[in-house]
Amino acid sequence: MTMVQTLENKPVVCAERRRFTPEEYHRMAEIGLFDGERVELIEGEIVRMSPIGPAHTVCTHNVFSCFQQLLGDVFFVRMQSPLSLGDSEPEPDVAVVPGKPSDYRDAHPSTAVLVVEVAQSSLEYDRQVKGLLYARAGIPEYWLVNLEDRCIEVYRDPDAQIGYRSRRIYKSGEALTCLQKPDSPISVDELLV
Amino acid sequence: MVQAMEKTPAVTVERRRFTPEEYHRMAEIGLFDGERVELIEGEIVQMAPIGPAHGETVTVVAEVLWRLFGEGYRVRVQMPLSLGDSEPQPDIALVPGKPGDYRDAHPSTAVLVVEVAQSSLEYDRQVKGLLYARAGIPEYWLVNLEERCVEVYRDPAPELGYRWRRIYTPGETLTCLQKPDSPINVDALLV
Repeated sequence: MTMVQTLENKPVVCAERRRFTPEEYHRMAEIGLFDGERVELIEGEIVRMSPIGPAHTVCTHNVFSCFQQLLGDVFFVRMQSPLSLGDSEPEPDVAVVPGKPSDYRDAHPSTAVLVVEVAQSSLEYDRQVKGLLYARAGIPEYWLVNLEDRCIEVYRDPDAQIGYRSRRIYKSGEALTCLQKPDSPISVDELLV
Repeated sequence: MVQAMEKTPAVTVERRRFTPEEYHRMAEIGLFDGERVELIEGEIVQMAPIGPAHGETVTVVAEVLWRLFGEGYRVRVQMPLSLGDSEPQPDIALVPGKPGDYRDAHPSTAVLVVEVAQSSLEYDRQVKGLLYARAGIPEYWLVNLEERCVEVYRDPAPELGYRWRRIYTPGETLTCLQKPDSPINVDALLV
């Protein structure tokens, strides 16, 4: 995510922007409005996702492979694919969802057991906006792979009002586990690039 | 119009903006049916519902302008102007021309634009003012229902907005740049 202070040149007063429902967003996509673009629907607003740099790509693949190995036999591990969360349709870098791929032929998953975002420039957006979004959806665990500070921020205990109640930061050299496999440690360095 | 920013966190992301062509395609598939929206600098914004004082004032101002200008001009009420990446629908746009001139494209300028405002005053002053100034529209009237006055803006500069503003109160008269010899009573514009 590119963080652009969209307000910098703007006056203090603003009109109410027209928000879009997921259904409207899909119709806009169907007529080709977003062809070749990376966008996602966040709380009724269509936002641009930043281009994926090389470090982001490699890290996303590391995380994907790790969870594929660890949980792939029981869960469906998705990479940069939409989740259907109320008035939002985010595309987290990795989402571990219940069931098998064919379960989601007709609709995107509406929840996940674990969501991962890899972030460099979009850290604050991923912490605040995405964190609250995933917590509201009741996703029990959210990992933010922080490429800037080379650490992994693990958020748990979602609360619909206040977001994730607990956060723990894991640094290079440490190991962490996910709620679904508490006995299988994952090394932070295996995920970071 | 409301302060849409109030609940937004300090950090934000770049919203997808829309070109006028994309905006028209969205309208064609019925996305805005029954809604009042306008395109302002690539963003689709909702317009405030028209209250009775607003509606009556727009009608009265349109009648005054129509009597003053007559043939050779069109008094367009709540119709789009095509201004670069914006397609606002000012309450009134006075444009040169005859019936049929704008069948294929909305006017891309105006000799005078009028907005009637109650709740959206600051938005109309700042955002709309800059928008109309950038488009080189020589004169912008903001009929201020809240304070019962008419704010007249002139001398557009693309970066600064309108350089000249004068506020006219009841009892005074104002003129339009295009008709400097025809004074209009402020009271005739406010209802």
